[in-house]
Amino acid sequence: MATLTPQQRAAFGAIADYLIPAYKGLPAATAVGVHEGMVDAVLSYRPDIEEPFLRGLAAVDTGDLSPSLNALFRADADAFNALGLAASGGYYMTAEVRAILGYPGQESLTYDAHATPDYLTDHMLERVVRRGPLYRPTPG
Amino acid sequence: MSAARPAGARAGRDDIADVLIIGAGPSGSVAAKHLAEAGFSVVCLEQGYMPDADAYPGRRPEWELVTQKQWHPNPNYRDRERDYPINTAESDVNPLMFCGVGGSATLYAGHWTPFMPSDFRVKTLDGVADDWPFTYEDLLPHLEVIEREVGVSGLAGNPAYPPKLAYPTPALPIGRVGAKAAECLDKMGWHWWPGTNAIPSQPYNGLNACVRRGTCMSGCPEGAKSTTDLTHWPHAIRAGARLVTGARVRQIEVDDRGLATGAVYVDSAGRERRQRAHVVILCANGIGTPRLLLLSGGADGLANSSGMVGKRLMMHPFSAVQATFADDLHSWRGPFGQNIASYEFYETDTARGFVRGAKWGAMPGGGPLGATSFVGSKVFTDPEARVEDMWGANLHDLVLRRFRHTMVWGIIGEDLPEESNQVLLDPDLTDSDGIPAPRLIYKVSENSERMLKFHEDRCVEACLAGGAIETTVVHQMPDTGWHLLGTCVMGKDPKTSVVDEWGRCHDVPNLYILDGSTFPTSAGLNPTATIMTVALRQTRRLIAERRNQEAA
Repeated sequence: MATLTPQQRAAFGAIADYLIPAYKGLPAATAVGVHEGMVDAVLSYRPDIEEPFLRGLAAVDTGDLSPSLNALFRADADAFNALGLAASGGYYMTAEVRAILGYPGQESLTYDAHATPDYLTDHMLERVVRRGPLYRPTPG
Repeated sequence: MSAARPAGARAGRDDIADVLIIGAGPSGSVAAKHLAEAGFSVVCLEQGYMPDADAYPGRRPEWELVTQKQWHPNPNYRDRERDYPINTAESDVNPLMFCGVGGSATLYAGHWTPFMPSDFRVKTLDGVADDWPFTYEDLLPHLEVIEREVGVSGLAGNPAYPPKLAYPTPALPIGRVGAKAAECLDKMGWHWWPGTNAIPSQPYNGLNACVRRGTCMSGCPEGAKSTTDLTHWPHAIRAGARLVTGARVRQIEVDDRGLATGAVYVDSAGRERRQRAHVVILCANGIGTPRLLLLSGGADGLANSSGMVGKRLMMHPFSAVQATFADDLHSWRGPFGQNIASYEFYETDTARGFVRGAKWGAMPGGGPLGATSFVGSKVFTDPEARVEDMWGANLHDLVLRRFRHTMVWGIIGEDLPEESNQVLLDPDLTDSDGIPAPRLIYKVSENSERMLKFHEDRCVEACLAGGAIETTVVHQMPDTGWHLLGTCVMGKDPKTSVVDEWGRCHDVPNLYILDGSTFPTSAGLNPTATIMTVALRQTRRLIAERRNQEAA
């Protein structure tokens, strides 16, 4: 896996903050390290996006992000999507963002498989049964 | 064929096995277990490996990232060493599969939806396609056995089906997603039922109870989704079956009398080997099975005097309706699995402008990264769209609106058989062992188009009645070819079918096909329940008729 230079990290940070700014209590991408450890993690999990990611990074002018990113999207969607996935994939993996969104990750839950479900006590399923069979009887 | 042997007598590599099974997915596993327990010496060649549940990504933070690549169901995109490539340039739908013990069910959602009575009488009832050579009632006793082996969870009494035995484990919790989905259908006065799933709600037959992790479609790290590596192979191996993994079959061999003598395969070290057998059973799915027949037996392939090998490919056109609600639905929680299902519009009503129908299954929306990548988010279909339309503040608004609040309805429409939809051998493309790869020609029919549009519209109506604040329809999604059916059709006439009603090839009396290739029609349902049930029916017949079986 490529080791990003400080300049590349800074450029990706600028792009990531443009794509994912601070908003309604959610932090900007660089505030949760998307351009630091998270981008390294994303590229290690998804080595297939490294090449288009680096291509996109080289193509974007961070001094003029909107026209540059829109031009990249139209000219090289794979490169744009790699930048976007590196930003969003890292962002939504961070504990800070997950805590704000109320996402504990895919979790293990216990339940009582024999508990009586609400749809039996509130008669909602009974209405289905009362409408009768749906299948078409067939000759044997 | 040899007489019954004591259980536990395992066939060696150089022995002539009583039965060689090619493919250790749902159908091959059923055959292996029951044949081995009946005393047959069984060898199974599987091109993938035994799954490692610790490798499944569902417990790790990168789960959403890797399901888009390394655990993607499309083998062309996933591109693992054990996958074979498929030329899909002429196909409207991409086939999805997984090579390994347990087969493509490793990545399935576990929707357990046996075919309905009318599915076996399509010609008689609706005047299209074909009737099956047997009925729902013929299959029912076998279905009830398979449901016990699989450990299905569900609630008895669904009026969509005739009465049958209760399921072996209670229904899974339908969660807030299921409750909201039920409310939508209740408002319309339409059918719904708690989901039946191949996911037990309590420990059962080597499976753990589901913990609602919601990562079913990238392999269950809890060992709670029913796959045959867990439910069938321990029994088969205990009874003496020999399972050879990393074994990629490239040809079925026949003798001078036209009887199958075994198969040639490439092992995981790249060595060519031969496994001989008295009977050969193909269970390599609706693409792999015709591919192997076309690779064997000369220019037209093996068992192909009808010319039907590879024809009538059915893959189930599929649409999705995403509905977002103001309520917090905890929509990252599983199972993923169907929380509820509806058969309201399953049966034919010609006033709708098409024949046959579709099943709807409600599932949770998934994690936050998934919320950003669904249609209408990062996917640009408008050439005038700008990056800012879906990123920046709009990305945050999208995730805040959809994450926790979204359900996805999967609509599976019946795919009617057409000979022009087919599996061929590609003249150039090969797998990593140099074996010619399959090429598909598949077009979604007008009937399917009309069917999906009708169902999408009804589904949106129900969601809006239930209070949806946003609905999005993905019409006929391309990456949905889970169900590979019909390419070695069964029938009574050798001129128009490949196998008889017991799965035996008309042309090669000791060659059987027990997977979904033999299905005359596809139903509008997830087919694994019926694939396993038909495999059990055919296997039991093979066992009962062992003394009359012609063998090499």
